[in-house]
Amino acid sequence: MGALGGASGLALAASLMMPVAAGAQQQAAPAGVIAPTPLSRAAVSPAVKATRTAHFKGDPLEGLNRKLFSIHTFFDRILFRPVAMAYKAVVPKIIRGGIRHVFSNIGEPVVFVNDMLQLKPKRAVRTVARFAINTTIGVGGLVDVAKTNGFKLPHHSNGFGNTLGRYGVGPGPYLFLPFLGPTDFRDLGAAPVDGAVLPVAVGFPFNRIEYQIPQGVLVGLDLRAESDSDLNALLGGAVDRYATLRSAFLQTRAAEVYALRHGDGASANPLDDPLADPAGGGGTSPEMTDPLTDPAASESQTAPSPSLSDPLVDPAAPSPAPGYQTGLAGP
Amino acid sequence: MIRVSGLAALLLAASTAAPATAQTSDPAGAPVQALDDGLLAIMKGGKALGISGRSAKIAPVVDRAFDIPLMTRLSVGPAWTTTAPADQTALVAAIRKLTIAQYAGNFDGWSGESFKIAPQVETRGTDKLVRTTLVAPKGDATAIAYRLRQNGGQWKIIDVFYQNSVSQLATRRSDFASVLAKGGAKALVTHLNQLSAKAAN
Repeated sequence: MGALGGASGLALAASLMMPVAAGAQQQAAPAGVIAPTPLSRAAVSPAVKATRTAHFKGDPLEGLNRKLFSIHTFFDRILFRPVAMAYKAVVPKIIRGGIRHVFSNIGEPVVFVNDMLQLKPKRAVRTVARFAINTTIGVGGLVDVAKTNGFKLPHHSNGFGNTLGRYGVGPGPYLFLPFLGPTDFRDLGAAPVDGAVLPVAVGFPFNRIEYQIPQGVLVGLDLRAESDSDLNALLGGAVDRYATLRSAFLQTRAAEVYALRHGDGASANPLDDPLADPAGGGGTSPEMTDPLTDPAASESQTAPSPSLSDPLVDPAAPSPAPGYQTGLAGP
Repeated sequence: MIRVSGLAALLLAASTAAPATAQTSDPAGAPVQALDDGLLAIMKGGKALGISGRSAKIAPVVDRAFDIPLMTRLSVGPAWTTTAPADQTALVAAIRKLTIAQYAGNFDGWSGESFKIAPQVETRGTDKLVRTTLVAPKGDATAIAYRLRQNGGQWKIIDVFYQNSVSQLATRRSDFASVLAKGGAKALVTHLNQLSAKAAN
């Protein structure tokens, strides 16, 4: 249960990431942004050829991605996971937490820069306050005192991928990269920007490979270890692990960017938005956007799609589905 | 980068929880309340009940709270209409089994967790949204929301949202699409039953 901590489900996605890339300054940059695009088209058409798995909209590189996912999975099994779990087993929790906090704290200036770029001054101020508190009282970031009740300034993730998303840049094709995990073109392109902030603004030691590599390894190991149970729960229940992770990642990113575009707190309460009529399709509230058309209810023009933003037309199903006859649902 | 949460919770990996405090008078709140109470019961039963005991206990709760047939149809999508009736029945049964197995497998212990049900229930068209929070004594709260639709005069859960962003239904559609396209309903049933078996041991 402990692993349920954090913030967004992105973690899930992020957990697959091993930000070994030197430039991956905190934030696992790629974990970035969304895919507001409707994913499934192919899934929609009953006439999909059995031979060829139609790729989802938003994932035109599915064939390549699946290969890369297999490669990652292989290395995860023989290398990343064993090493990460050993790290967790050997290094005391308090030390692992301290290391995690230090690197997270070092990344706060990057969060701040993006808060500013997104024109979120209140958030930026909170980020500064958090950074100041943790750097001083928190002993160089070792202890996350800012999060505690006295201050109530929890960490929030932010990166240039979010900034681009906030100003309307779409995610582009989904990508799964070994070592880095799920991402998309926008987030991947944005990652070096975040990665450059400290090396450019501060310089030493952030511009040194001798710093960047250990940082990437430690952060990656810790993230992998901490996410293990969540990852197992998500993927352990999946028929198609690749597709499940992709869906979870895209939905999470979509929600994050949605929240940025629709003002503070939108993520916390997306249903503040008007609930769109299913048939109208135009809803803004993620949870209710998809009218959830019952396929058993005769013909529908619209196809269900895995993406939250996909408007599904409700054929208004008067006729009970054959499945209802099973009586399994019980009253 | 320290986003150490878990979509896992999507699958309700949350292995914890305390009495659900219901504060909504909306009829759609009832099944959610029943589910939360049921989950707390099996969490508290924990190891003593065992996986089979937890399954037996949560099964009737799942049947009452969820519209499993509709969730199945929505997960399968348009392919449902071209699926043979026998396969449809098998799919519904497989989803039911998996749902029960996952709850029984994941909610296996209690360490002070509790569920809070938000008083306001939101409505759109034919559906309602009931928000809940899984509160753990340690660690962050997890938002879990339920989308409900009426069936035969009863409000039933048709989708579960993790952290306000990840829809279980959307994830399942994505999850199932490839297997359905390649092997059809029968292949999916086989896969689902394997997952249930795995979750139940």
